[in-house]
Amino acid sequence: MIFEERQVEKNNFSSRAIFSFLFISVIFLIVLFQVFSLQVSSYSAYELAALNNKTYSVPIQPLRGEIFDRNGHVIVRNIKTFDLITKPNSIDDVESFLQLIKPVIHLTESEVTQYLEKFKEKAFVNKELVLKKNLSTEEIARFGVRQFTFKDAFIGERYRRMSDYPEIFSHVLGYTSKIEGQDNLLSHLPQSHLKDAELVYANGLIQGVTGLEHTYNQMLSGTYGKRVYEINSRRQLGKVLEVESAVPGEDIHTHLDISAQMSAAKALGSRKGGVVAIDLESGGINVLFSAPSYSLNKLANGMTVAEFQEIITNPSKPFFNRALQGRYPPASTIKPAIAMFGLTKKLVRWEEEIDDPGFFMLPENGRIYRGWKKGGHKNVNLKKALLVSSNTYFFKLAYQSDMQELASYLASFGFGAKVCGDCFNEDGAFLPTPDWKYNNLNIPWFTGDTVNIGVGQGYLVATPMQLANYASILANKGRALTPSIAQSVLSDAVIQNNYQVSLGNKDWINLHDALTGVVESDLGTARSIRDLKNFKVAGKSGTAELVSLDSKEAYQDLRGSELLRDHSIIIAFGPMPNPKYAVSVVIENGESGGAVAGPVAIEVLKSLLNE
Amino acid sequence: MNNKLTKIYFDPYLFFSICLLSILGLFFLYSASNADLSIVLRQSAYVLLGFLIMIAASQPDPDLFRRTSFLFLVFATLLLGITFIFGPEINGAQRWVRIGPVSFQSSEFLKLSLPIFLANFLGDKKLPIQTREVGITLIIIFLAFFLVARQPDLGTGLIVALSGIFVLFLSGLSWSFIGGAFVLLVISSPLIWNVLLEPFQRQRIATLFNPESDPFGAGWNIIQSKIAIGSGGIFGKGFGQGSQTQLNFLPETKTDFIFSVIGEEFGFIGVFLLLSIYFFILMRCLYLALTARDRFCRLVIGGLSLTFAANLIINLCMVVGLLPVVGMPLPFISKGGSSLMSLFFAFGIITSMATHKKFLPQ
Repeated sequence: MIFEERQVEKNNFSSRAIFSFLFISVIFLIVLFQVFSLQVSSYSAYELAALNNKTYSVPIQPLRGEIFDRNGHVIVRNIKTFDLITKPNSIDDVESFLQLIKPVIHLTESEVTQYLEKFKEKAFVNKELVLKKNLSTEEIARFGVRQFTFKDAFIGERYRRMSDYPEIFSHVLGYTSKIEGQDNLLSHLPQSHLKDAELVYANGLIQGVTGLEHTYNQMLSGTYGKRVYEINSRRQLGKVLEVESAVPGEDIHTHLDISAQMSAAKALGSRKGGVVAIDLESGGINVLFSAPSYSLNKLANGMTVAEFQEIITNPSKPFFNRALQGRYPPASTIKPAIAMFGLTKKLVRWEEEIDDPGFFMLPENGRIYRGWKKGGHKNVNLKKALLVSSNTYFFKLAYQSDMQELASYLASFGFGAKVCGDCFNEDGAFLPTPDWKYNNLNIPWFTGDTVNIGVGQGYLVATPMQLANYASILANKGRALTPSIAQSVLSDAVIQNNYQVSLGNKDWINLHDALTGVVESDLGTARSIRDLKNFKVAGKSGTAELVSLDSKEAYQDLRGSELLRDHSIIIAFGPMPNPKYAVSVVIENGESGGAVAGPVAIEVLKSLLNE
Repeated sequence: MNNKLTKIYFDPYLFFSICLLSILGLFFLYSASNADLSIVLRQSAYVLLGFLIMIAASQPDPDLFRRTSFLFLVFATLLLGITFIFGPEINGAQRWVRIGPVSFQSSEFLKLSLPIFLANFLGDKKLPIQTREVGITLIIIFLAFFLVARQPDLGTGLIVALSGIFVLFLSGLSWSFIGGAFVLLVISSPLIWNVLLEPFQRQRIATLFNPESDPFGAGWNIIQSKIAIGSGGIFGKGFGQGSQTQLNFLPETKTDFIFSVIGEEFGFIGVFLLLSIYFFILMRCLYLALTARDRFCRLVIGGLSLTFAANLIINLCMVVGLLPVVGMPLPFISKGGSSLMSLFFAFGIITSMATHKKFLPQ
């Protein structure tokens, strides 16, 4: 090649080489820019991503709050039990470990298989595994002596939720059970971490399912803590980076009274029914009992399938909360309210007398409505009508009433609606109206229907809770409180009663006088309980007919079948003249109200008054 | 220096910057291997051997490489053939050839011999290069690419092809030809996508644009790599402190993704310094190419150093998420014997080409 050609070639090479290296420089700048944007501009996002990668938060279960009665006695508590917990990660030979520990801890066949099943997985991810639950004191002692041989096992405290009165408070307190799936109270960690939660309770993550445990679940539950571990890409736990303790749930102080609740249960005995008692000062529910009941402790801490089946198939339905959900005709206990309606609407006056021949004949069609006493009560005024529970008087009064007006008047006593501020699954029962009947049964409201309402029969039904609330309004001379179980009610759980029943003061005095006479006078239908106490009580008894019959003879035939017998009902408040407590009692198929339900009410009142 | 027998040919700038890179690489490898000293010791041995190879390759006169370039190419091709027939199949690919106790990737030789051969072939051709010579060159390049790509090893195949194309470009390929080829490439790209690429390769490219579509599968590597680099911040998490690396979230930390380890543990400052060393080496190569004694030397230095640059850039772009994932080590840093040997060999040849001067102009 000649010199010029070489020079041309060299220049050509130089320009292309420089071009190439400029190109490379540009790519270098692009890479540098990309790294800059990752490390500087988006640093916080990637820092967070790396942190999420390398950490794993295990939720720590909080201890639930305990529940106390109005005197500060605990009703439901957390009882400490002991489980044997192992660290599979540091156990090299599981078989020899089990051989070594078998003489110390009694292990059943199924406990061993269950343990071996989960062993490998837990060992790999470095998590703990329970070998044996609920150790006996002997086992704890034996293990304590040999602890140095078992460096990979320790005794862990695990709680069980127990009541000292498991049978009598089951309906009102409700029970806790294992959380299936997610727990909405775990908000600061992903729900998927729940399966790894550090447990405080022997039966795992629990939540209130019924009763107070459910209503106040959030308050009782407390707040989850967390233990943050370092974790690698194979999900193995490493060292602990951070611990945030769980915050135990708040205790709940209730208006319940253990001794009064026990009195109610004892007085009711083996009979079915519901009892509710309300403090007239605060509206607090002191007694809320339903019979038959079941064991709260067994339900919350594991019962056998057979035991559960027994409860489920029991014809008396122990799970059914009669105090809040039982729908019973109020029967004669409705009469004070009907009387007040009559006075308010000026349909009756206290002194005005009518003749009670023992029945009422509906003028329209001549249909006969019978009283409970053959031959009747002869001349009755309003007070006597209440004392002797004259049906004829109230048939006649109801006959004169406009049902629409009567229904809204009864509604002001809480009938047909939920009245309790923090009860679980309370039933509003039913208050009929002419519109309801026409729209749902396709037949118009007859005056005969209203006549039935006058003695608390017919379509009207109420729960013991509603009857107690009604009794408290009567006792408080029209002031309606919101009954509640807990002393500080959750704001979102409150049903605020805003009704007020007004009546002239003289009428109130007369009414209290008449209702006191029901128990305390010789004429009163509940006079049989007069001598069970040494304070005065006002009340109204009732006998709810399940079958409408024309004669006493026919009822005698019916009595043979227990489930068709009348329900026995009473509402009562005392001590008179300045009542402190109101109570309602319904005993299913108990027959005569005053004599059967009455003593139960008296026992409860005595207990509440420490008599 | 005048005594020819005692003269040792070496370029201090290249030598010491490669020295620095290799030593830094051993440190990075220690962290990337979760403090596995045996891996580091093994790699140290490779580095020492590599320096010996580099120094040895620097000594002969460029004429030796020129005269033997054809034999070298034939030898490299034969090795590929042997691999194809006898090589063990690892992960569905035949890339390795085993001679006695030593096993290496046979394609490494082709990466060196092809540009040297082409530099010799094109080194005495008049400008502009004739179509016939371009045709022959392209056929050789394609055959070399084909041999490597069918192993299959698309990444190395592309590097081999690039090494030839660089020489062709530097030797004066006309711009109109380059433009035409580019247009052809664009037109035929749908064909390449649909016919030539394996489904897993298409998947990798698709993943590049949307790694979140499959975060635990195809997107895992690139997502974890970006998290590692990004979470390093400006100053890094410190030596051995990178959680992405130490807790094994980052894949292939010792080989392809070692740059992410550096990014995580040494931050932007570490990355900047590392890239500066690489850039310095490349600039030195440019200088050496421009001042080399003849056309052959220029083309070899240019071709080999551009190949080195391509190797480096593909790795960098891959781990920072600018290119799809292809198996490509970070030069002088990643763990691995044969790629390191061929790198040192290449820089030995570059040194030889740059340091031997002729007393008389040709």
